[in-house]
Amino acid sequence: MSSNVLAVVSWNLLNKASSMQKIPALISAIIISLLLAGCAGTQNRHTDPEGDPWEGFNRKVYAFNDGLDKVVRPVAVGYDKIMPDPFQRGVGNFFRNLDAPVTFVNQILQGKITQSADTFGRFLINSTIGLLGFFDVASKMGVPYYNEDLGQTMASWGYEDSRYLMLPIFGPSTFRDGTGRLVDSYIHPVGRAIHGRNEWGMWIVRGIDQRARYLDQDAELKQAYDPYVLMRDVWMQNRQYQIYDGDPPMTDYDLYLDDYPEDEPDPEN
Amino acid sequence: MNTLVRIMFLVFACSSGNLFGDHISGDDPVSLVEDTTVHIFADVAENLDEYTANPEALRTLVNRQLMPLLDVDYAARLVLGRAGRGIPNEKIDEFTSCMSTLLVNRYSKGLLYFGGETKLWVLPQRGDLNEKLTRVRSRVTLPNGKQAPVDYAFHKTPEGWKAFDVIVEGISYVTTYRNQIMPDVQANGIDSVIERLGSGQLELAE
Repeated sequence: MSSNVLAVVSWNLLNKASSMQKIPALISAIIISLLLAGCAGTQNRHTDPEGDPWEGFNRKVYAFNDGLDKVVRPVAVGYDKIMPDPFQRGVGNFFRNLDAPVTFVNQILQGKITQSADTFGRFLINSTIGLLGFFDVASKMGVPYYNEDLGQTMASWGYEDSRYLMLPIFGPSTFRDGTGRLVDSYIHPVGRAIHGRNEWGMWIVRGIDQRARYLDQDAELKQAYDPYVLMRDVWMQNRQYQIYDGDPPMTDYDLYLDDYPEDEPDPEN
Repeated sequence: MNTLVRIMFLVFACSSGNLFGDHISGDDPVSLVEDTTVHIFADVAENLDEYTANPEALRTLVNRQLMPLLDVDYAARLVLGRAGRGIPNEKIDEFTSCMSTLLVNRYSKGLLYFGGETKLWVLPQRGDLNEKLTRVRSRVTLPNGKQAPVDYAFHKTPEGWKAFDVIVEGISYVTTYRNQIMPDVQANGIDSVIERLGSGQLELAE
């Protein structure tokens, strides 16, 4: 049921988006048909009813992304093979530098004024001396790197728990973070190129570059008992880590033990 | 998703084992991490060729230095959770020893891969130290200059402080394994999981 609601919301959002921001018709069509497929059936698996009540829907999006990956992965593999490592590092630096405006705005929204000055300085240095960000000169100069976005800002404002949401193409997220991502895209240079000028080149290159970074992990994910849960776990835990700026509360391990039969007699004896 | 990569790599590769040595100077978790890291990294850097030629020797080193300071029994219990209910003790022991072997193998592989160039330093202890449970926070510098945050969860046992979890960029090895293994045990039984562990199919990280 809830996945239907989500599909309707997303449908509206996409219709709006495709008319207003000129998302190519093909991509809209793919996403929309996917979302429809999402409503077509329901899955009964509930591995985390609290954190992931949309699991049935999310698993379908996961399967869709997995299918898409059959096309994206070979491109990423080729890119990884052809491009020398220093060049790849440069491309990574370039895109990381472009995240700075989003980080800067969100640092201010979170009241982290001193840190926002670092981000500003880092952006200036890397965009100029660092040749448009290809070289991370600022790190060598000891300017700290921060990463903030609207999802983290909303979490810091008290919107702490949000349900897991697997986004088509973009991958793991939550409802909160997906919304934040959409809004941030109006600040992000890559997003602005799309919204303003309908230019998708940078977005595509960034996608390939990011995909190439995960190639080493493909085998592990495939071998996992439940790859969907593994991805969710890893993403959610790391997201928590980002929200707490690297210092999240310690896991309550006692909770893990509570359901362990410490004093139950061994049935074999 | 960004992190999936590095994390999975790092969990065992450079972090989980580095902690301990057999020449521990202090009993507090911070000294355990510092001393053992220095010791193992130095050993690997010095004898890299030998260990590359003879990985078994490296596994022996890791087994001798690392394992006594890990509480794998406790980690295994956390991982199994309620799925451990009704499973005979000897099966649990078998499962635990599979996890140990996996740890040693993967950690040794990671050491070879990074060639002993890895550096680690421990962040100042924070206020969350208590008498039974604490977290040691550290940064690992990889040969490519990248830094990875690695935390260790320690708890106090009758034999002193022992580590039972490694957390890389916020991703807990115990939590992640638990969410894979618990449903697997419930659906397919402990024997099947032990077999998969033994055959290396459950290597979540490489």
